[in-house]
Amino acid sequence: MLESLQLLFEGFAVATTTVNLSYCLVGAIVGTLVGILPGLGPIAGIALLVPVTFGLNPTTALIMLAGIYYGSMYGGSTTSILLNVPGETASVITCIDGYQMAQKGKAGAALALCAIGSFIAGTLAIMGLVFLAPPLAEAALAFGPAEYFSLMVCGFVVLSNVTGTSLLKSLMMAVVGLIIGTVGLDPVTGDARFAFDTAYLLGGIEFVAVAIGLFGIGEILSNVERPQELLRQQVIVPRLKDLYPTLQDLRRASGAILRGAGIGFGVGLVPGPAPVIATYASYLVEKRTSRHPEEFGKGAVEGVAGPEAANNAACQAAFIPLFVLGIPFAPPTAILLGALLIHGVMPGPMMISERPEVFWGVIASMYIGNFILLLLNLPFVPLFANILRIPKRILLPLVMLFCITGMYTVNNSIPDIWVMLLFGVIGYAMRKWAYEGAPLLLALVLGPKLEVAFRQALMISHGDFGVFFDRPISLTFLVATFLFLFFPLLRGAIRKWRAQKAPR
Amino acid sequence: MKSKRDEVIGGCILFLFGGITAVLSLKMPIGDFRAAGTGLFPLMLGILLMVLSGLFIAQRLQDRTVPGAMDTGAQAPVSVKQLAMFLGVTVFAVAGFTTMGFPLMSFLLMLLLLRSLGIKGWAFLLSVSLLTAASSYALFVYLLKIPLPKGLVGI
Repeated sequence: MLESLQLLFEGFAVATTTVNLSYCLVGAIVGTLVGILPGLGPIAGIALLVPVTFGLNPTTALIMLAGIYYGSMYGGSTTSILLNVPGETASVITCIDGYQMAQKGKAGAALALCAIGSFIAGTLAIMGLVFLAPPLAEAALAFGPAEYFSLMVCGFVVLSNVTGTSLLKSLMMAVVGLIIGTVGLDPVTGDARFAFDTAYLLGGIEFVAVAIGLFGIGEILSNVERPQELLRQQVIVPRLKDLYPTLQDLRRASGAILRGAGIGFGVGLVPGPAPVIATYASYLVEKRTSRHPEEFGKGAVEGVAGPEAANNAACQAAFIPLFVLGIPFAPPTAILLGALLIHGVMPGPMMISERPEVFWGVIASMYIGNFILLLLNLPFVPLFANILRIPKRILLPLVMLFCITGMYTVNNSIPDIWVMLLFGVIGYAMRKWAYEGAPLLLALVLGPKLEVAFRQALMISHGDFGVFFDRPISLTFLVATFLFLFFPLLRGAIRKWRAQKAPR
Repeated sequence: MKSKRDEVIGGCILFLFGGITAVLSLKMPIGDFRAAGTGLFPLMLGILLMVLSGLFIAQRLQDRTVPGAMDTGAQAPVSVKQLAMFLGVTVFAVAGFTTMGFPLMSFLLMLLLLRSLGIKGWAFLLSVSLLTAASSYALFVYLLKIPLPKGLVGI
């Protein structure tokens, strides 16, 4: 524990250099804007900014990109409270009570509680990250190809189970992502696959193009087809002097923040869209444990503070599987994995010992980033709220221009832009047909790793599939996968059986 | 899209995609599980997608109602014309990116996209487009030092 603290202090020395502090600030501001602006969630936001980091060293690059991720969690709550429109999916729950608080003239207090709750939860989650990551990294050294394969399969199934409305649809999207991930060179033999004699496809499908297409362009197109939603919306802009919650508000929020931090941290460690699940879980817990459950939905302080704390804690905890196992469990961390690989940093059990400056520097920057976001979100909330006054009819073309330019800068390639537009149209169609993009993107990023793990495991076992079941860790993940796959079916069957047994 | 027909069509598209993947994989070396060839993994994925989409289609054909699908028609009136114009302008700008160069492309893209979204008043349109093109040029080329196509304008 003492060693972790000592290394953390060394991380602070890295994070507090002028360059890193500046990029941490930039990441926090951009993240807040990404959370606020419609049509640009954290996934597309981080993907767009990856090329900007090419000239930076890996630590600085990751400090900025991580800042965008957790900064967007802060920003997302602003639109939920002021507009009743979530800036990103993790802020959907905040709309329920946050907008009601705003309607009652307490928009400032709601925003302040979000910022304070996010700061406290984020800081607590980073503490957990500091003390949990090193022992977990040591444990992860026992992972072989079979364990990695089973863990990734488990991750896809859990993610598919908790995203969207249909498990089958999400699973199909994960398989489509894996298929797209096979385009290019075979990761083991180096032979061309699905390249159709074109040099462009030999390099594989650019995951940044898929991310921006599915989550950025798809969202823009969905907005464009609804003309009346492009009209200017009524925004409640709070005044600076209103940004102080009462003592009673703070007292009510404190328990919710601590519970939200715990829930968010736990959920962040497991596969799935952690911030989204954490907010729902926190809201349910708060509603069930509250002395005034009737206030929920009408502007309950706990209904805002708890979920906002939970989504921030989940967002920070999601860095543990990324850093320790090298496996992201959600699309934003999948993009961060891609960025790390571009910068020549291989996340995994050895990252803490081999690249301590990156690991501890980024963690230390998160403390600083949370503090910056607190300072930024309280006094500048009226300013950010004014950004929401810009009509979508002007914002959407701006975001489109930024997507095209940002995509070009990744490889200075026009075909990348075509791929992005193609996936934009696919993303639009997926929205209309209620298919989820998250499993597809995660599978695309993890696909090559999954294939290598699968083939290596079978090579070691001479083609015997027992290798996945003989090893206890691998077996545990496969059992969990099985349970997650068949739990919905089992639940349905039990409900049916109960309904039949119930007296008529 | 909420109808059973649309859901089944979606499933069929994915089934077809899985089938094409499997067929194309068979043209590559398959090997065996001990020494997998290039085509084995995509072949397995193609078959898996066909199985999943087959199950999905069967499930949808059995269901009387389709839960979860978005009913965009009930949400808001949809303007296909506006969407087509927006996409058309974007495709035009990307096709002419290298020839026109970044400054001209960004100016025209903004101008035409704003117009396609119903913004009127040429003075406003021109000033917003010009300001956006100039500021994005300053950001990407001067500040971030990213080389962008110069094209006709030559800067």
